[in-house]
Order: sequence, then structure tokens, then C-alpha cells
Amino acid sequence: MGRAARFRRSAAVAAAAAAVLGGCASTQQPEVERVATAFEDPAGDPETRCDLLTPAALSALEEQASQPCDEAIEDLPLEGGEVESVEVWGGDAQVRLSGDTLFLAETSTGWRVAAAACQPNGEAPYDCEVEP
Amino acid sequence: MTEMKSRGFLRDNGLSLVFGALFVATLVGQAISGTADFNAQQIAEGLEPVSFAEYVTSSSFGVDVMENWQSEYLQFFLFIYATVWLVQLGSTESKKPGEEGKETDKEQKVGRHADEDSPEWAKVGGWRTALFSRSLGTLMAVLFVLTWVASSVAGWAAYNSEQLSRREDPVTWPAYLAEADFWNRSFQNWQSEMLAVGSMAVFSVYLRHRGSSESKPVGVAHAQTGQSG
Repeated sequence: MGRAARFRRSAAVAAAAAAVLGGCASTQQPEVERVATAFEDPAGDPETRCDLLTPAALSALEEQASQPCDEAIEDLPLEGGEVESVEVWGGDAQVRLSGDTLFLAETSTGWRVAAAACQPNGEAPYDCEVEP
Repeated sequence: MTEMKSRGFLRDNGLSLVFGALFVATLVGQAISGTADFNAQQIAEGLEPVSFAEYVTSSSFGVDVMENWQSEYLQFFLFIYATVWLVQLGSTESKKPGEEGKETDKEQKVGRHADEDSPEWAKVGGWRTALFSRSLGTLMAVLFVLTWVASSVAGWAAYNSEQLSRREDPVTWPAYLAEADFWNRSFQNWQSEMLAVGSMAVFSVYLRHRGSSESKPVGVAHAQTGQSG
């Protein structure tokens, strides 16, 4: 095998190792983006949007708002907007939209929103309106 | 000294085979208990448990394996290099005082001092002999670097996953190398390796285990260095 071919193979092995060690995140990105933007879409069906919450986030929202999710969701400050960045690490993800930041978690039924309407809080964790 | 006749593959290689099997068994044990532990945390955070296959391909398992491997290779790398120059009077893990250093070619059976049954690369001289003469320590050093880098990548991914679950921003790899998480994992593994080597070096001076290659013969004096069996 020539030197160039050997180098390419080593680089491919290193990249594969990094992908495995890092948890193969890049393949999940499109689905994470789809869930985040669908949840934040003000024109979306409220029930469909509520289905995109994790069970823990859903019950926390309903308890806090003292009404069913499909009614409470209309009052939430979910500004949405263009996708600015997506980070996927293992079973956790963060999507930054121009108007909001969301955190997602992978469940057996796919990616779901675990926290939304999140504001940065310096060194401390994000302060989120919707979270368990 | 006459060469012992081979007594069959299993008896000739028993030490490697047993430890190879123990390695596989304990790695499987780690995978099983790690899955259970990870899932207990998942449930506590209101998330779903993962399957065994998902856990063993996760960065969480990856970092837990790699951080241990890198410290083992560091231990052997340092120990091999250190025992060239440093001695411990009375220890089986040491050369005798006065023998420090790389020794003569004659003592090492290198080049023209090699025997008929010396390894080929010990006889030929040049870069091959130079490389072969350092091959053990070099391999340990290379494996240490590779596994330490692997543990930093896996650790970075596992750390970022935890960051997100805590509603904090993920970090870049260079930033992770400055994080307490990385150095805490490194140092906690390194301290146990240094303890192990130090303990063996000292204990083997004063204590015995009859028949073990790691021990001096029971009746040999404490001050006798470098003998074993």
C-alpha cells in the first residue's frame, strides 16, 4: 500500500475511532433539528407540539400551568427562529435557535424536548421556563 | 542452561491465557455493572434506560475503559524506563546496586556478542538493533499516549453529555483538557499505579511468596537484590 493510501486509511480509522468514542453524534443532527423546530413552530398543532416533550417535561408544564399542555403551550415564550447551532452528545442535545435555546433527550420513541425557553445564566445552568 | 522441552501450548502459555481470560471476564463484568449503574442514573433523572449494546458503544463506557488502560500503560512505561537507572536494594523488581544504566553490549548479547538463538534484530546491528533494544518501553509509551488520547476524547464526549443533561453548554476538546474532570480522572488512576509499583518494590524486599516469580526464594536474605523464584 502506498504512503498516501496508508495515511488515508489511518486518518479514516482515527476519524471512526473518534466517532465511536464520541457516540456517533453527527447522524442524529437532522432529527434533533426537526424536533426542535417543530416544537417551537407557533403555527404547529399544539397537540403535536406537546407530544414532542419528554414525559417529565410535559407533566411539569401541566402542573405549573394548571392546564393541559395544548392550552398552556400557547402562552409559553417560545420564540423559535432559525437554527444557529446544534450540539449532540450521546443521548443529550442542545439546539440554539435565533429566538430560543432548547435541550433535548433521546427516548425510545425518538428525540424529545427536555427543556425549552432557556436563558443563559453565566456559569450556572440555563434558566428554563419549561423543564422537569 | 538447557532449554526445557515444550510441555504443550496450554502449560507453556498458562500465565497469558489465564490473565487473558480474566481480562475478558472482568471487562464483561464492567460492561454489565456499568449498564446497570448508568440506567439507575437515567431513571433517577426521569430518562429512559438504555440497552446493553447502547451502553457499551457509549462514550460513558469508553472513557471508563480507556482511563484505566492509559494508566496501566503509563505504569509499565515509567517502570521499564525507571528500572534502567534506579535501583531498590533487596527488591525482586530491581537490578543490583552498581548495575545502573544500559550495560555493555556483551552483557546484553547484542551485535557480535549475540548467541545463535538470539533474536534476529539483536544480531543485525544498525537501526534494527537500536529499535529492538528499546521496543518494550517504546511500545508501552506509544500505547500510553494512544489510550490517554482516547480517554480524553471519550471523556470529552461523556462530559458534554452530562453538561447538556445539567442544562449547561458543552465544551471544545481543548477546553476539556483543562477541565478538572479530565485531570481528576487521570490523577485518580495514576496514583494507584504508582502505589502498586512502589508497594511491590518495597514489599518484595521483606516478604516472600514461595514459588512465585515475583518473590525471592523464601530463605534468601533481604539485602539480596534482583533474584526471584
